[in-house]
Amino acid sequence: MSWIRREWTPASADEWTREDWITIVVSPIAYMLLMIGVALSMLLLPVGYLVLAAGVLATGFMHWVIDPKLKVISSEYEKRQREYLEEVERKTRWEENDG
Amino acid sequence: MAAFGFLDWLWIVLYLFIMIGAGILFYRLGKRSESDFFLAARGLPWWLPAASVYATHTATDTPMWVSGVIYRHGLAGLWYSFFAGWCAISAFVSTRIFRRSVAYTQAEWNTIRFSGLGAELLRGWMSGWQVFMSMFILGWVGVAMGKVCHYVFDWPVWFGLVFFSSLCAVYVMAAGYWGVIMADFLQGVIAFAVILLVSIWGVVAAGGPGAIVEKLTAMGEASRLNPFTFTGWFTGDFPIAWFATMIFIAVLGGFGMGTSIDWYVEAQRIQSARTVRDASYSIWWGTALVLMRNSIWAVAILGFYVLYPNISATADYEMAWFRIGFDFLPVGMLGFFFAGIVAIHISTISAVLNLGAMYFTRDLYLHYWKRDATEQQLVWVGRIATLVLLLGSFFYGLIMEEITSWLIFALWIMAAGIWLPNILQVIWWRFNAWGYLSSWIANLGLSWLVVWVLPSFGVIPELPDYQQFWALMMLGALIYLPITFLTKPDDMDHLVRYYVMSRPIGFWGPVRREAERRGLLMTARDAMAEREAL
Repeated sequence: MSWIRREWTPASADEWTREDWITIVVSPIAYMLLMIGVALSMLLLPVGYLVLAAGVLATGFMHWVIDPKLKVISSEYEKRQREYLEEVERKTRWEENDG
Repeated sequence: MAAFGFLDWLWIVLYLFIMIGAGILFYRLGKRSESDFFLAARGLPWWLPAASVYATHTATDTPMWVSGVIYRHGLAGLWYSFFAGWCAISAFVSTRIFRRSVAYTQAEWNTIRFSGLGAELLRGWMSGWQVFMSMFILGWVGVAMGKVCHYVFDWPVWFGLVFFSSLCAVYVMAAGYWGVIMADFLQGVIAFAVILLVSIWGVVAAGGPGAIVEKLTAMGEASRLNPFTFTGWFTGDFPIAWFATMIFIAVLGGFGMGTSIDWYVEAQRIQSARTVRDASYSIWWGTALVLMRNSIWAVAILGFYVLYPNISATADYEMAWFRIGFDFLPVGMLGFFFAGIVAIHISTISAVLNLGAMYFTRDLYLHYWKRDATEQQLVWVGRIATLVLLLGSFFYGLIMEEITSWLIFALWIMAAGIWLPNILQVIWWRFNAWGYLSSWIANLGLSWLVVWVLPSFGVIPELPDYQQFWALMMLGALIYLPITFLTKPDDMDHLVRYYVMSRPIGFWGPVRREAERRGLLMTARDAMAEREAL
């Protein structure tokens, strides 16, 4: 699926893109399908198995879409985290007041 | 009163021994620093905070509440529990933004996102409110445990409240968040096993899944098997308008921070995850487990309904899941069941104790009182705050019967009128501290008017809760939007720093352009060139 981007640079991964919006749409649907699917499957209703399978597929698809991007965001952000932590600490201890 | 044998007591003693042992085991890690005591040094893989999200949101009163809505509405009642669905979007939006801010608490985030006096006022208000809310939730959950102990052992309600919350406080004070998270993992596993076992037991007691379906059909109650059974567009006790409002609130709330009361607990788990990716998955999977757990409970409650279809007293059918366990499990398994209930209870108590202590220590003591406090002093203040919260929760728990309706109102006003401002603060650069602060204040007044005062004088009819939500949302906007536009935007330096650090979603055009102008971010043209090169 060429319309789903799988390779990211740190700068491009930081942007909100089509992959994020696909995840934003699929994620609640996956929750609904899993919730209803588990209940109906426990009652051994055939429609429950179908709904649950759809929920599992939606969950897998969502992770497939967003995971490469999240990996790049995370690894890039970790490099800068220490600097941000120091800044937050200074602000809490009133060592810097930019207001 | 349930009859416990030797094996039952053994389960309980063994469980309590393991839980308190976890505290002692992680004592050395917890006392190293403030970051260890409250965030496990931000080093957890996703599955540990996920287990904590799941365990924390499985409280003693949760099966009572789920039993109530399923007994009344059948599987359609599952939608009441779908409020947790805010995590669907939050896991990939507000969780990512909040994790990148590295704020310990939502109160601290206010001073990272907003600037000046307004931000400080917000931080003070938010931290005080959260300390109060933590005490209230501890009392609320604690008294539910007292009632369960009264039901099982005929103990006085106060004893169940005080005994188990105090045991839990031992490991929270010893090891802080390290103790909470490790115990939550064990508690999550035990609680899930018990929920699955007891629920399957309940289904079997009702004759099995097929028999439940057949009996419901024979009773003319087959609609209870349909999760989409509504009573009309706007009429009855389960209208489509309510469902649509609930889905709207739950799902879109994920764009904001604080749109659900659970956000404040999750925020601590988000910051304790070792990366942004771990934070996202911990929230998503922890909540997925919560929703599937509710489904398992729901089927057991349908079984209970088939066995006892004519219970009219809410207090009786809300005990359905507990009755399945205590009425149908054999001696020897009762203790395992009760240990599971204790796990459910303690995981919530420990999380809220540590959370409230973090707001007190970080946002009140360190920020406003002793800015040069050492790491060791902060750990000790965290422990003392834990103890004070525990004692306060006993007070709240014991007067809860008299004040419940007032406190439910407090929860409601917290959620309705500030739902949209909680989103705006994340997605709109121009929304400032004064706008957000005024939305809280306006909501306090408006909710009284809309929910109680105006209906009492016949000015407006008593509105269903979903209509109150829309009314409060629109009336509040008439106040905080003008205030936002009549006051200055936040300082641009401050906004640029926040934007580059957190990379929020939404309407941040002027801040983005300023960051690009300063060479802090790549322009769209540069990004395109980089992509083509790749």
